[in-house]
Amino acid sequence: MNAPLPAQALRRRCDASRLGFATTAELQAPDGAPGQARAQSALDFGVAMRREGYHLFAMGPEGTGRHSLVRARLEAEARRREAPADWCYVYNFDAPHRPRALRLPAGMANAFRDAMARLVEELAAAIAAAFETDEYRNRHREIETELAERQERALNELGARARAERIALVRTPSGFGFGPFSTSGDGVMEPEEFGKLAAQEQQRFEETIGRLQKELGDLLHQMPKWRREALDRMRGLDREVTRAAVNSLIEELKAAYAALPHVQEYLERVKQDTLENAAVFRQAKEGEAPTLFGIPLPRPEGSEGPFRRYAVNVLIEHSGASGAPVEYEDHPSHAALLGRIEHVAQMGALVTDFTLIRAGALHRANGGYLVLDAVKVLTQPYAWEALKRALRARTVDVRTLGQELGILSTVSLEPEPIPLEVKVVLVGERILYYLLHAWDPEFAELFKVAVDFEEDMPRGDGDDALYARLVAGCVAREKLRPLDAAAVARVIEHQARDAGDAEKLSVRMQALVDLLREADYWAGVAGRETVGAAEVRKAIEAQIARADRLRERLKEQIVRGTVLIDTAGSRAGQVNGMAVLQLGDFAFGTPHRITSRVRLGSGGVVDIERESELGGPIHSKGVLILSGYLAGRYAPSRPLSLSASLVFEQQYGGVEGDSASSAELYALLSALANTPLKQSLGVTGSVNQHGDVQAIGGVNEKIEGFFDLCRERGLSGEQGVLIPQANVKNLMLREDVVEAVAAGKFNVYAVRTVDEGVELLTGVPASEIHARVEARLTEFAEKARAFAAKGERKPWRPGKKK
Amino acid sequence: MAAREEEVRIRRVVACFAPGSVARPELAARLAQEMQAEFLGLFIEDLELLRFASLPFAREIGFPSAEMRTLDLAGLERQLRSQAAGLRQALAAALDATDVSWSLRVARAAPADAVQAALAEGHAPALLIPPRGDPRAERRVLRRPEVSEEALRALLRSVQPVLILPE
Repeated sequence: MNAPLPAQALRRRCDASRLGFATTAELQAPDGAPGQARAQSALDFGVAMRREGYHLFAMGPEGTGRHSLVRARLEAEARRREAPADWCYVYNFDAPHRPRALRLPAGMANAFRDAMARLVEELAAAIAAAFETDEYRNRHREIETELAERQERALNELGARARAERIALVRTPSGFGFGPFSTSGDGVMEPEEFGKLAAQEQQRFEETIGRLQKELGDLLHQMPKWRREALDRMRGLDREVTRAAVNSLIEELKAAYAALPHVQEYLERVKQDTLENAAVFRQAKEGEAPTLFGIPLPRPEGSEGPFRRYAVNVLIEHSGASGAPVEYEDHPSHAALLGRIEHVAQMGALVTDFTLIRAGALHRANGGYLVLDAVKVLTQPYAWEALKRALRARTVDVRTLGQELGILSTVSLEPEPIPLEVKVVLVGERILYYLLHAWDPEFAELFKVAVDFEEDMPRGDGDDALYARLVAGCVAREKLRPLDAAAVARVIEHQARDAGDAEKLSVRMQALVDLLREADYWAGVAGRETVGAAEVRKAIEAQIARADRLRERLKEQIVRGTVLIDTAGSRAGQVNGMAVLQLGDFAFGTPHRITSRVRLGSGGVVDIERESELGGPIHSKGVLILSGYLAGRYAPSRPLSLSASLVFEQQYGGVEGDSASSAELYALLSALANTPLKQSLGVTGSVNQHGDVQAIGGVNEKIEGFFDLCRERGLSGEQGVLIPQANVKNLMLREDVVEAVAAGKFNVYAVRTVDEGVELLTGVPASEIHARVEARLTEFAEKARAFAAKGERKPWRPGKKK
Repeated sequence: MAAREEEVRIRRVVACFAPGSVARPELAARLAQEMQAEFLGLFIEDLELLRFASLPFAREIGFPSAEMRTLDLAGLERQLRSQAAGLRQALAAALDATDVSWSLRVARAAPADAVQAALAEGHAPALLIPPRGDPRAERRVLRRPEVSEEALRALLRSVQPVLILPE
């Protein structure tokens, strides 16, 4: 019969005296992240690989330090790289609804914006001054006078020709007219005098006047053309004057940006536009509100009048930046990623222009790195599609969601897309990575680098010391009180327990940091300068105490006899199984009574949990394995004439997992052999068809769950738990359990086979149990044959399951 | 000449307006205000124009539209009254708020006669602005005896203002 495990096998201690320091203040944080060699290597590769599609997906459970490790690596790489270019949006003089993107060297965008603002001020002053000069006025007047003289001369010539034919050219209120001179030559003829003229003479006058009127009409038709010519000359003069004023100012600015052809080209367009719109500089005064029929119009907020088109919208600038950007977008909506186009209200309508284009995270991260939470990107409408499109096209195209969906018909902007050179790191759970890989073909093309984070690290020789340095790094980063060696040892043991393995240490950094912070708090309460083991223990106990309400209620139900669990005596067909409940961050074990009844029949083993749809598929699988064990062990060459039932008593919330299958088998064998099982023992472990007991999860919680109940009722020294031998390495039991075992008040047995287990539970050799079972099954088989012979019932129905 | 002009204080501005030449009277008015001179607007209803409108075949060719339309005396008089009223309004708007003493006279006469009569009313230096004159243009200077009827007709066709000094 198996001996109980020694106390030292139940918890792998960390020897504080071997850590080699007094407090963590003496320790340096380790380089890199312990236990994350795979992730670190993938991260190094992904960051260095500059080819298209090598974006990264950092996957692993929450709290394993994915964000901090990724960020630290990216920042280290970013420091080695140069700051990327600045980007501005400027007015597109050819197509105003398609603002132009201008690229400037890092840190120059603001200077360019200021230079343009100064240029506009200087242009306004210079152009206004140029039009105030005597030279301009004289030349302008000369053109006007020339036009007036040309018209006057033409009219005078016509008047002279008319006078030669005794016709006067008369100026009327709205034009001109022709009338005959009086015979005395003293002005226009009186009507009476005209009436006395011979009819022939009258007719001659009328014909002459008719001809002159036609000539005058022709002349007046010429005059608008002369005026247009004069206006053209005036415009030419204006351009000449403007050019003289503008040239030096703009050429000076062009010289300052001689190395930037795009800026040169833009400034040339500014010059042309200035020449074409000199009147704007002469007339529109900044600060004067526009009017409609004399009513002042409200200006949109931020409007700067007619010179707004010469503004420079600095989208992204990197003045003072020493490396490439590393951006994290906490709210990766469509607009937050791609940027947005804002609008302002004007006269009840929403209007926009290039100055209202705002940068998104992709703009800010351009030339560097962008870190995003995968689940957030996936849950924001259209953000995932937009991100993929930008990465595929390698451009950032600022489009509103309304434009994207085609649901807005108002005039908006189509800013020139900006080339994108960014490395995106998605951070998320593993399940997201695998789902995306399976269901989104583009994902694999774009996110070729998987950075897989571990939850734990090996706990080999020297790893406790390495972990102590990790703790020291957290303490320093969080600015906590240093921990003494005993406290660190306690933390390390707790982290092994958190990993659920004596040979591993949890690297769930968030949980570690939380523990350290809380221990620091308790040290503060105790007025200590350093954190000791007592504070760490206090922090752990307080964490458990805050979360264990349900555990205590369940234990109370058992102690008060509402839930029936025996921890003493013996009974056939009844065994104490173990279950683990996970509620939030807190997991605990609790015993469950498992019972079995057997009778003659051909139904095999009936899993009541499954029949009542309270059992999950894995549990059902475990029970079906029992049938395989029974058939192989006791009836390899004859039908099994058995109907057995198995149930988790008083269990109403569903059962899943196969960790109770060994317990179920013990209950079944006990029922068949009609041999009682010790109720002072709890059992966990799954079983295979050969009767080997296999490893299960949550072994520590299960042992502690049964221990707590036994302690509540009083430890007898007989009580204990059977666990699979394969789980011994996972044992990191609470200190009170270890102490009870050391004192001989509680026992933990490791079993490899069902035979070892059944001997411990019954106190009867396994061979004897098997003989009793076989005898019972034989008895069932004979009775079945007897029934069959009487024709009352078929012994079994080949090919039909239960 | 400029030196002489500087020494002379212009006491009176006589601004002539003819039918079809009443645009921008405020320029002349502002000049009078700057000079602190009395302002006389002289709207001349040329007798020759009235005779022309009485002719049975009188036609007006619009400027600059070149549209031809019939012109009769009644219609012309309506136009003249309307232009004179508009002129009065414009001058009132420009001068009522100032301390310039001003008046508008409508004269139905030959232009030279109407101007001669106006000039004869005072002996102070006066600035004569012809109907199509530019108040800001360079001025000519004449003494009163030099302003014959013939000279006056020529002056009224010019765009230059004329400073007329007493004898």
